[in-house]
This record gives sequence, C-alpha cells and structure tokens, in this order.
Amino acid sequence: MGLLRYLLKRLFLLIPTVIGVTILVFLLVHFIPGDPIEVMLGDKATEAARQALTERLGLDKPMYEQYWNWFVHALQGDFGMSVQSRLPVTEAILSRLPATIELALTATIVAAVFGIIVGVSAAYHHNSKFDHLLVTFSLVGVSIPIFWLGIMLMFLFSAILGWLPVSGRISMGAGVQEATGFYLIDTLLQGDISLFLDSLKHLLLPALSLATIPLSQIVRVTRSSMLDVLSEDYVRTARAKGLPYRKIIYKHALKNALIPVITVIGLQMGKLLAGAILTETVFSWPGTGRLLIQSISNRDYPMVQGIVFILAFAFILVNIIVDVIYAKLDPRIRFE
Amino acid sequence: MQSEFLQKLTIFRKNRLAMVALFVAILLVVLALFASFISPYDPVSTDLENKLLPGFWAGNWDHPLGTDNLGRDLLSRILHGGAISLRVGYMVIAVTAFFGTLLGIVSAYYGGVVDILIMRVIDVFLSFPPLLLALAIAASLGAGLENAMFAISLVYIPQMARVVRGSVLKVKTNSFIEASRALAGGNMWIMGRHILPNIFPSALVYLTLLLADAILYTASLGFLGIGIKPSTPEWGAMLSSGKEYLLMGQWWVTVFPGIMIVLAVLSFNLVGDGLREAFDSKLKR
Repeated sequence: MGLLRYLLKRLFLLIPTVIGVTILVFLLVHFIPGDPIEVMLGDKATEAARQALTERLGLDKPMYEQYWNWFVHALQGDFGMSVQSRLPVTEAILSRLPATIELALTATIVAAVFGIIVGVSAAYHHNSKFDHLLVTFSLVGVSIPIFWLGIMLMFLFSAILGWLPVSGRISMGAGVQEATGFYLIDTLLQGDISLFLDSLKHLLLPALSLATIPLSQIVRVTRSSMLDVLSEDYVRTARAKGLPYRKIIYKHALKNALIPVITVIGLQMGKLLAGAILTETVFSWPGTGRLLIQSISNRDYPMVQGIVFILAFAFILVNIIVDVIYAKLDPRIRFE
Repeated sequence: MQSEFLQKLTIFRKNRLAMVALFVAILLVVLALFASFISPYDPVSTDLENKLLPGFWAGNWDHPLGTDNLGRDLLSRILHGGAISLRVGYMVIAVTAFFGTLLGIVSAYYGGVVDILIMRVIDVFLSFPPLLLALAIAASLGAGLENAMFAISLVYIPQMARVVRGSVLKVKTNSFIEASRALAGGNMWIMGRHILPNIFPSALVYLTLLLADAILYTASLGFLGIGIKPSTPEWGAMLSSGKEYLLMGQWWVTVFPGIMIVLAVLSFNLVGDGLREAFDSKLKR
C-alpha cells in the first residue's frame, strides 16, 4: 500500500476516535456536580444573567441537541464565547498557541539533540561506570516532577545567581512586532538582536525543565536501540574489515538505530503539549496551558472545552505524523 | 509455574539498586501508614505566630523541617502527605487493576464486535495526553481526593486494558487453552484459571510502574490546585503554596515536599524496572 493510501486510511479510521473525543469534551460540562450555571456565575448572579447564559450555552435543550450544536460548531472551529471575557474561545486559544508551540518545540529539540548524543555515548561505553551513571540519571529524570525541577532551576538561576529572568516570555515593555507569534523568529525578523537574546533567556529555563522527561526517555531508547544495532552482522563485518569503531557508530549504526528514537521523539512531543501546562504555570509562560489553568479556576467551561479539544486534537495529529514518518523510514514496515 | 516465579524473584533480589529502592519504598509506606502516630503536630492546625520558621539547620528541633506560611509543622504535613499520596496511589491501582484487567481480558478473549467496541472507546481515552485528561475530568468534578483518584484512574484503565489485552492475545494461542476447552472448561474457568495467572507477571510490573506515575500525577494535580483542596497536606499542593516564599529565601516549604515526591516516584520506578528485568527475559541491561 502506498504512503498516500496509508495516510488516507489512517485519517478515515480517525473519524470515530475524533467523534468520541468530541463527546467526551462535550460531556465535561455535564460532569460538573450540581448546576453548572451556578458554578460558572456564582450564587450572586441575577436570574436574567443565569437565563442568558443557559440560553447561550443551550443548556435548556435536550442533551442530544446540545451535543449536535456543539459538535457542528466545533467542526467549524467555533467553541463559543468565553464566559469570563465574552470573546470567542477560538481567538483566545489561537493567540496563545504560538507561545506553547515555541516552548514545546524548543524542549523537543533540546531533548532530541542531547538525548541522542548521550544515548550513543552510553551505548559506546556499554557496561562501564559512565554507562550505569547515565542509565541511573535517566531514571531520575523521569521521576522528578517537572514543576518542582522548574521551581528549583528558577530559584538557582534567577533568585540566587540572577542570570536569568524569573518568568514570562519577554521583558516588560519590550515591543515585539508579532508576525509569526514565535518570539525567537519575530525578534530576528525585527533585526533586534538584544530582544532576541532577551526572549531566548526567558525561554531557556522553561524549555530545559520541560525537556527533562523526553530527554531521559530518548537517552534510554537511543542506548538500547544502539546496543541492538551494534550486535548486528553488518556491524561485525564492518569491524572485521578494520573500520574504526567510532566511524562504524556514526556512519553505519546510528542511521539504523535512530528509527525507534524518532518514534519516541514524536510521541514525547505530543506529551509535551500537556507537560507544558505545568511548565507554563511555574514560569507564568503565556501559553495555552496557563490559559487552561486560569480558565479552570475562573470556571470558564467553554474555554476549558476548547483548549482540551485543541490539545487532544494536536496530540492525535502528532501521533499520526509520527506513524507515517516511522513507516516511511523503515521499509520493513508495510503500510497496513 | 510456582518455582519459575520464585526463580525470577531471585533474579530480582540480586539487583542491588532495585533492592535499595524496595527498602526505601517500604520505609515510605510504613511512615505513611503510621503518619498520625509519628507526626509531632496536627498537619492542618495553623499557628500564625510561628509561620515560616526554619528547621533543624537553624537549631529548631521543635519543628525539625520548619513551618509553612500558615505556621503548620512541615514534618507532620509531609508525613500526612505520604499517606495521601499512597492512598490515592493504591486506590488508583486497585480500580485500574480491576477494570483494566476485566476490560482487557474480555476484549481479547471474546474478540469480534466486543473487542472492536471496547478498543474504540479505549482509543478515545488514549487520544488525550494523560495529564490533560486527568486535569479536565478533575476540573469538572471539582476539588476532592476521590475526584482526583477517579480522574487519574480514568487515565490508566484504558492503558492497562491495552496491556492486558496484548498479553491475553499471546497467552490465548497456547495449546493448554485449547486443551482446557477440550476438557469442557467454561469461559469463566479458562479466564480465571489459565489466562489470569499467566498475565499476572506483566500486570504486576505494569502496576508497580503505574504506582510511581500515579504519585507523580497526584502531585501535579495538587500543584495545579485542581481536584485537590489547597489546605490538604498533599506534596504537590504544599510545594505550590511555598513557591512564592522560595524567592524570598524560605526554601524549605518547597524543597522538602519535592524531595519526597522524587524519593517516592524514583523508588517505585526502580522497583518496577527491577521487576521488569526479572520477569521479562527479553529485556537486556
């Protein structure tokens, strides 16, 4: 089966899953114990305001009709109005999305680059003290809560050493002309190097703390995949004909060992979208994760539903892309 | 079967790191179980005259780990926090083990439409990043430990069901299943007597690693202040309330709960890893 047909089939199979996701996200409002209107508006709201919100959210209609309305609008990218700000939910999410993507992508790149380097060197020095140390470190890496690590990094580098800013994306009052929404790119487009460095400094700690879990996973997978490949016949052949070991590793083995690594990078990238919720909260990073937490504490449920759906949808898309790349990279895998 | 199990336990016992981790894990469980007896103070009673006192490093042995922003004894709160994390962890495991195993076995054993239906629903749950799903459900249900437990369980039941389904599909092909059926063994008998014991090792490994994860997720929810009331002596919530004092130099409110989370999660992860190595011979170190 060709790549295109495989992709179409995957997308087709996705339809029931996405419908299921919309049902679950829709039901979130109905999981609220008691009267959702009272929860959202508080008990001091006037009867007229309660009526208006009930009608706006369509809560006076039967359940299936409510779902259908929500679903049809959601398909068009319309998640209703924020209860708090009265602005369209979609607009608010889109304006926050670049900050989250910038953070998640940077963390992914950091994790991938260092993870592969460290993983390969661990495999290279298999069973040495160095190897055992790295394996242990990677286990510690998945066991540290990233919010705690973030706070500790902030304490060390911002409070004690004063090297890096405490929070936010850019220094107060800095005028970034938003073109792409990615500050690293926008500041460069602006030609303002000091502003670029400023945004890089802001990005450093959040990206580092977000990168720890994927970094540890990538180290572990790279190491074990590398060990697998190094026991293959063609590696032995290469050694037998006298190629230097270092060259075998980088020219022959790494290319084949990377296939599972790329899968893990992709899977971790999807998870980073959710991990960013914690990091953004620690560093007051103005992304979708922080918006989600704020909306939850404001009981702004249309906003919560919108963000949860968008993040889940992004997660699904990333996973499909990973599958396709995986299938493309490894010719042994048939597009089934 | 029995001797093979013991043999694998011996492999586990030779793994020094895993044994140390097991010791730490047991110690944490014991401390948590006896939290109310060991704790010098009430974990929730406030004492505003003694807030943010440093601990033993400043010679304060009345409050060895200091006090928090409301003057509550940090040691007592940390001990009770252990009890809360473990309670959530074990409840999540119990619920997940029961429903995950049930769904997984039924799905794989019966196959066909049942399998497709169950797996489709599971796919929906797996379409969410785990933290997001727990967060969304806990946010809707409101604050309360039971709600947090329920939300975290909903993340793991589908994962567990998938793992169990995979193992059952493998076990199902064995000829002893066919033999049992030939001897007129009923479905319930086969599932309970033949399939369940065979998937037990992989389920055990999975559940240990899951306990570590569940503790981490509980702390995350507590840190975000979702599904767990801020006054609850939960490690993540404690750490979150100490965050603003950290930058002013009162580090203990944030540092100690964090260390406890790392210790608990790491020790269960190491035990789980050790078990996996012992029980899954394909894995190499």
